[in-house]
Amino acid sequence: MKKNKKSTMGKAAQKMLVGGMTEEQEAVLTPIQMVFRSFIGDKIAMAGVCCFLLIFLCCVILPVFLPIDMYYQDVTQANVAPGFGMLKVPGSLAGNAKQLSIGSTFSVGIDEKGNVYEWGNFPTDKLKKLPKDMGKLTQVSAGLDHIVAINENNEVITWGNDRMGLSSIPVEMRMGETPVEIYAGYQFSLALTDKGRLYSWGNSYLVDIKFPEGVQGNIKAFDANNDIVIALTNDGEVVPLTKKKTAYSNIPEGVQGHAVDIALSDESVAVVTDDGRVYAWGNNLKKSCDIPEEIQGHAKVIEGGRFHYVVILDDGSVAAWGDNTFGQAYAPSIGEPVKSVSAGYYGSYAIGESDKAYSWGLDGYLMGTDDFGRDVFRRLLKGGRMTMTVGAIAVIISTIIGVIVGGISGYKGGKVDNIMMRLTEIVSSLPFLPFAIILSAIIGNSISETQRIIMIMVILGLLSWPGIARLVRGSVLAEREQEFVTAAKALGVKEWGIIFRHILPNVITVIIVNATLDFATCMLTESSLSFIGFGVTEPNATWGNMLNSARSATVIEKYWWRWVFPSLVLAISTISINCIGDGLRDAIDPKSKER
Amino acid sequence: MRTGRYLLKRFIYIIFVFFIISILMFAIYKSLPGDPVRMMMQDNVKPEVYQQQYEATKKMLGLDQPVPVQYIKWITNMLRGDFGYSTEYRRPVKDVIGVPMRNTVLLNIFSMIFVFLIAVPLGITTAVKKNSVFDKIVQVVTIIGYSVPGFVIALLAIYVFAIRFPIFPISGVKTAGFTGTGFAAFLDTARHMVLPVLVMSVGGIGSITRYVRASMIDALRMDYIRTARSKGLKEKVVVYVHAFRNALIPIVTVTTWWLIGLFGGSVVIESIFLWDGLGKMMITGLNQRDFSVVLAMQMFYVILSLAGNVLMDIAYTMVDPRVKLEN
Repeated sequence: MKKNKKSTMGKAAQKMLVGGMTEEQEAVLTPIQMVFRSFIGDKIAMAGVCCFLLIFLCCVILPVFLPIDMYYQDVTQANVAPGFGMLKVPGSLAGNAKQLSIGSTFSVGIDEKGNVYEWGNFPTDKLKKLPKDMGKLTQVSAGLDHIVAINENNEVITWGNDRMGLSSIPVEMRMGETPVEIYAGYQFSLALTDKGRLYSWGNSYLVDIKFPEGVQGNIKAFDANNDIVIALTNDGEVVPLTKKKTAYSNIPEGVQGHAVDIALSDESVAVVTDDGRVYAWGNNLKKSCDIPEEIQGHAKVIEGGRFHYVVILDDGSVAAWGDNTFGQAYAPSIGEPVKSVSAGYYGSYAIGESDKAYSWGLDGYLMGTDDFGRDVFRRLLKGGRMTMTVGAIAVIISTIIGVIVGGISGYKGGKVDNIMMRLTEIVSSLPFLPFAIILSAIIGNSISETQRIIMIMVILGLLSWPGIARLVRGSVLAEREQEFVTAAKALGVKEWGIIFRHILPNVITVIIVNATLDFATCMLTESSLSFIGFGVTEPNATWGNMLNSARSATVIEKYWWRWVFPSLVLAISTISINCIGDGLRDAIDPKSKER
Repeated sequence: MRTGRYLLKRFIYIIFVFFIISILMFAIYKSLPGDPVRMMMQDNVKPEVYQQQYEATKKMLGLDQPVPVQYIKWITNMLRGDFGYSTEYRRPVKDVIGVPMRNTVLLNIFSMIFVFLIAVPLGITTAVKKNSVFDKIVQVVTIIGYSVPGFVIALLAIYVFAIRFPIFPISGVKTAGFTGTGFAAFLDTARHMVLPVLVMSVGGIGSITRYVRASMIDALRMDYIRTARSKGLKEKVVVYVHAFRNALIPIVTVTTWWLIGLFGGSVVIESIFLWDGLGKMMITGLNQRDFSVVLAMQMFYVILSLAGNVLMDIAYTMVDPRVKLEN
């Protein structure tokens, strides 16, 4: 402030002194501010900051909203191409739907006139080849990769996958019996006739149906999942069609004799009784047995998806519960009474009184799925978190070691310097990647997943400090001859104090720049290690090990989303970090900018 | 005279480092899980004889002696060229290692040549045309080049050059069942080499171009360049003779490090392209628990990087007589 009050003469003189710079700038800018300004002005570096922050924030925040169970796999969802619309009912069907059914990643529906519609992501092209002359359909059911239907002549029709005997519909079913309910499942099909008899065809190894005495011929309804078929008899009894004792056979009291509707999820059974109550039993890993209390006594019809249930209540509204990974358990409020619901896999449909179709649940995958049916986008987010954490901690370890070794070595000089520098040289002589591979192969054999991740961080940190140690040593060597160090010494400041309080702040810029660039290198190394299978391993995701399964030519050709997206984020992140590092270096050392 | 003494000193030092690292390696080797004695023995031995045979085998392998003696024996064998016995190939490691080593060296030399042919002229041109549009583009491309990991480039290269446009094979060193010899065989190998070399070169081109450019810019700012120009020398002579020679030192440093890293990094590339080289052999060795092979491989990498350090020093004196090899 004082300066401004000086005369113009003084101002001119000062201008000459500071070499033409205006005095406000001179008065305001500290070196750090100058660095900051210069950094802000660097467009490439700022673009890098933005890109990296975007990816970083996505990886930190989005997993909260898009949870993923790392151990969960689902082959029915394997290799689904990116995109949405799995639940998007075609326009001409949406207003006059009669029945809808959900398959693994596709849906099928019929309208009031008996026309059939298919939409979604088809696991096999055979699904698109509709059989000729099938007439008007009255009922459809979609499975893993095939569809079963009944037409107006009461014939059962099937199309889609035709292996494993899926196309050989039992002949005896046509002998004077009329099919009333059909079910297409995981490589098998079921049909119930008006005589109460249940027929099955397809792969009989997966679900072994054994009828207890007096059940066949007395079946009113049934449902099935990948393990079991459970029937509901005309007497309101629930009968698992198996001889083995399973979690499904622990039928709670008050169900037998009163059951009116039955549905199965992949882990449990749910039954609606004549008093409108819902009973669910089986496993409850995905919360499919946690029935909301307010619907008890009001349920009428129940349908089961993979890990969720949907019921129609007596007031015509729908309720849903169970696994909510894809929003299956959030039943929308529908403005009209609901006529029928259908649930399957991760989605649900409801048809209102006006024949209008409503849907909720899994509509598609933003970036497709991998060979285990895991959502690539969600794994990418988790993987990003892991990759960045490993990189960051490795850099922190290596920076701490590097600063300590370099600082002591540069400040002390002489013998200490010599010994430390030899140590540095030995570590830097170790061939990095091969050595890291060997260490991880040897140590990583007998430890848990978490320990393995920590081990990778430590290996990376322990092997990559020599570079930073050399740089710090060089800068400290230059700094320690400065006057302020001599002054500090003369004042009797302790050695550690001089190193860490007086010299270190002057070389901190070098350290920061190097740490930034090292961060990119560590991320790359971790990815390379994970890519060849010696880093972080499945089921934990990192960007590197997500690419591990993409090494075959088939995957590269057919399932492009499995390698394009991880490669892209990895590349963008490392490019941005390098841009930031370069920008920082230019900002700190204006001379390098002239290059 | 001075150079000779320095090199001697340096050599002694390298031997020292080599021994320290070899002790480290030996320690790792000893701490490996699994009992090598039991691995050597047949399973169908009667219990009575078992203990006796076990002791005999142990003695035969020299494992009954104290660890330091074992180390000395091992390192002597190593230095004699006896790298142990490969359990995977059932042959001495010495005999197994030849072909992969040739393949790896072939791959690395070709990428090195390729990188230099592109990076050095590119770096010089961008330095001369500093801040031009061409320079800006090259700057962006090179930063991408050295940031993107090799395996991502490999996936991309496979997609473009082997799947979209099936021009090059993606795996192996030669076509299966190929019987040609001489030039035909070389051509076949060269075709297989295109993609790995391409992928390995991208990173190197990225970083070395930037280094060449930076040090050339520094050199071009010097007074002697102005002198050379004012003498009326052709611009080409000024750039390629006067400036480039003086820009070589940083280039030599970064090149040596890059070269050492290239050998280490080819582990990933070789395992993608199934290139029958040292890197792939090391991975197979680790997966098959064939540790003699792994250890030999590791020692090869160590010697390579130590030799790289010395070569770097010698190269310094060659490119710049002012550098004295002392400290």
